[in-house]
Amino acid sequence: MAEINKRKILVVDDEITVCKSICSAIESEEYEVDSALSGEEALKKEEEKSFDLVITDLMMPGISGLDLLESLKAKSPDVIVIMVTGYPTIKTAVQSVKIGAFDYIPKPFTPAELRSLVSRAFKKIESEERAEKEPRPPKMPSGLYYMIGHTWLRKDEKGFATIGVVFDFLKPVGIITHIELPHASDNITQGEECAKIIDAEKYTHRIWSPGTGRVIEVNEKLKRDFTLLRKEPYHDGWLFKVEPTNLEEDIKGLVVSE
Amino acid sequence: MKKLFAKFLNLPLRAKFILSFLAVICFGGVLTLTLGTRLEHKTIIDLAQAKVRHDLAAAWMVYNEKLNDIRDIILLNSSHESIQKAIKTNEKEILERYLGRVKEEFNLDVLTLTDARGNVILRTARPEIRGDNQSKDAMVTLALKGETVAGTQIIPSQELLKEGKELAQRAYLEIIATPKAAPRAEDHEKNGMMLKAASPLLDENGTILGVLYGGILLNKNYEIVDRVKEIVYKGEKYKGREIGTATIFQHDLRISTNVKNANGERAIGTRVSKEVNQAVLKEGEPWIHRAFVVNDWYIAAYEPIKAIDGKTIGILYVGMLEKPYIDLRNKVMLTFTGMAILSVILLLIFLFFITSTIINPLKGMVFATNKIAQGDLNHKMETYFRDEVGQLAHSFNQMTENLKKANEKLIQWGKTLEKRVEERTKELREMQDYLIQSEKLASMGKMAAGIAHEINNPLTSILINTHLLLEKMEKSRAFHENLELIADETSRCTNIVRGLLEFSRQSPPQKTYSNINDIINRTLELLENQASFQNIRITRKLNQNLPQIMIDKDKIKQVFWNLMLNASEAMPDSGTLTIISQFSSDKKYIEIEFIDTGAGIPKESTSKLFDPFFTTKSGGTGLGLAVSYGIVEQHKGKIEIKSEPGKGSVFTVSLPVSG
Repeated sequence: MAEINKRKILVVDDEITVCKSICSAIESEEYEVDSALSGEEALKKEEEKSFDLVITDLMMPGISGLDLLESLKAKSPDVIVIMVTGYPTIKTAVQSVKIGAFDYIPKPFTPAELRSLVSRAFKKIESEERAEKEPRPPKMPSGLYYMIGHTWLRKDEKGFATIGVVFDFLKPVGIITHIELPHASDNITQGEECAKIIDAEKYTHRIWSPGTGRVIEVNEKLKRDFTLLRKEPYHDGWLFKVEPTNLEEDIKGLVVSE
Repeated sequence: MKKLFAKFLNLPLRAKFILSFLAVICFGGVLTLTLGTRLEHKTIIDLAQAKVRHDLAAAWMVYNEKLNDIRDIILLNSSHESIQKAIKTNEKEILERYLGRVKEEFNLDVLTLTDARGNVILRTARPEIRGDNQSKDAMVTLALKGETVAGTQIIPSQELLKEGKELAQRAYLEIIATPKAAPRAEDHEKNGMMLKAASPLLDENGTILGVLYGGILLNKNYEIVDRVKEIVYKGEKYKGREIGTATIFQHDLRISTNVKNANGERAIGTRVSKEVNQAVLKEGEPWIHRAFVVNDWYIAAYEPIKAIDGKTIGILYVGMLEKPYIDLRNKVMLTFTGMAILSVILLLIFLFFITSTIINPLKGMVFATNKIAQGDLNHKMETYFRDEVGQLAHSFNQMTENLKKANEKLIQWGKTLEKRVEERTKELREMQDYLIQSEKLASMGKMAAGIAHEINNPLTSILINTHLLLEKMEKSRAFHENLELIADETSRCTNIVRGLLEFSRQSPPQKTYSNINDIINRTLELLENQASFQNIRITRKLNQNLPQIMIDKDKIKQVFWNLMLNASEAMPDSGTLTIISQFSSDKKYIEIEFIDTGAGIPKESTSKLFDPFFTTKSGGTGLGLAVSYGIVEQHKGKIEIKSEPGKGSVFTVSLPVSG
């Protein structure tokens, strides 16, 4: 691949060690990785050359991750922003998705986890660039609560919630070779990992839960047929059911489908 | 006076009672006695005086009878024909013989005949003295005018001497000094007092031939007075003394009397008192009163004796010895007083008993109060009567009874105090442990949040770089294994941090009214499908009458979930899980017990059971119970554990009924 076509990535973290580590984790021939130690520096670098992807820490002195996200999106709406967050700020991370972040990744993470995310991000760009059209892209039913580009949640009359993955997430993932689901009685928390999808390229995609609660039922059908996820992401392709413990609060971080 | 009254007030109750009663009685008694005796005295004296007045009337009758006798004698003899004839014929012998017989017959002291000019013709007592003129005499004067008169008359001593030597002697009286009498200059009395009558002698033509007069000398003549005594008092005596007395006074001098002097002789020559003198002699009024006669008190009646010209010349007196009446009065008074004293004594005895009925219970009460004051609560007061004091005693006993009970309780309490203190200390220690645990959790939460944030960055660097190294290193190369170890352990650190954060992120509970049994049932529904529950029998003993309580349903469910899951994991092969919901013994809590028949928990572990990250399970985070503990604590409840290794464990969750 020619130099010119290299994807440009900017890593922003106020801690130099972390910043360097993240850089080395994603460094490859395909990417041109740059780093910035503050929001201000990031914005300056963005002036010089535009980046395809910005990986930024959420908690930074001065311009915070969220401020940076808003500034970047205002300048170039196409830029993909991935938030790096610690657990204490996971709620903010969920919020960041609502206001335009592609996704987020909680610290600490392995290089593989980050790469999967980056890869999915670029795949998304590529598919958009190619203007690929699914023959029949499944339409999200109305009345679902969802985390943009990620997962959805459906309330049922018993007060339980069914959780699944949004098609936008699955589209760049491609062929699914494995799905890792939680067990019944596991506790899950909004914004935290609740399942994993492994694709044909062995990328592991972590799935953030849209709600908080206890898992009461897992989609056994899905375990046997992974294709259901792509085929029927809003129906038979659901992941599991939870008994939510704080649904009202969870919904604040989600968007309702029309 | 004030001091005396104060002294009185300090006297014993009985003395006060008796003194008060006595004062009233004495006052009343003396008053009655005084008034009574006065009244009685007056009555007796009035009676006596009335009697004496009657007696005086009787005395007058005797006196006047005598006078009438004399008048009749004189009148009859003056009109006797033989006397008239004898005067006419001047036959002196016949006159002398005849009149001398009349004088003897009728016991006259004087019987004298005068002619028409008043010259004495014949003096029967002294025939040798005659010729003297008697026409100056008041009675003779009237008789010379043709009237027959009778009356009492003072006869001068020279006239008496003419009429008879022994008459003058009889009339002569030495005046005896008498106390209380009016002063008198003379020391003797020579004149006499006579009952006398005079009547004219008339011829057939009515010519006055002369006058016949005669009488008896009252001086030392006791006939009248003794007769009065005889008739009126019938000779009654009182203690050897005559009760009744009568006296004829010539002026104020006793000339005829049966009043005796100290020697037992008739007290002639003594005089009437000044008072009587004044009233009777000078004013001519009768005088009825008690009077001191000679040497004794008499109830006396005096009336003037008047001459025919109306002049008071003497006194007729009757008197009763006052002594019988006084004695009678004294006797009555004595009886009266005696009765009064007897009444007082009887009353005092009565009072003594009556006051006893009041004072004895009071004394008993004083005794009882002292006893109680000394600490003897067993002393019981006797209740004698059902009066106010009795009621008081009853109340007092009741009070003592209550006091005793209270005291016993106090003693009992004192005995159990040590035990209570021990219990309370234990409770406090538990509470302290609980607080320490809570504090531990709270600070742990805060610290965890801080640590998690700080540790995330280095962990991120370590994790990324380790993995990068691993990726670049061939698997066969040395240190590959070591790097994997680092990577795994870093991942474990990640999990620990995540657990810490989860633990620290406990949000405040959202409480609603919820039914505990419903929560238990729903949790069980969800759990029954779990693999670990397949070989476990579940028994529910749920009290259906439990009230709804304010709790965070979801959090409590999480607690139950954790406890039931723990129980099931304690019984990997088989066993029974018993779930009981009930009231605590004081009804302030709802208790939910989870009883398993598992391996139990060793004693040394039970105290650490609720510590975060303490786990006995190989795959556990050690946060389940710590989180449960935190939730129950947020509900102001408790989790307790009782465990016996080999037999099983009991987890008890207590949630307050209110709030």
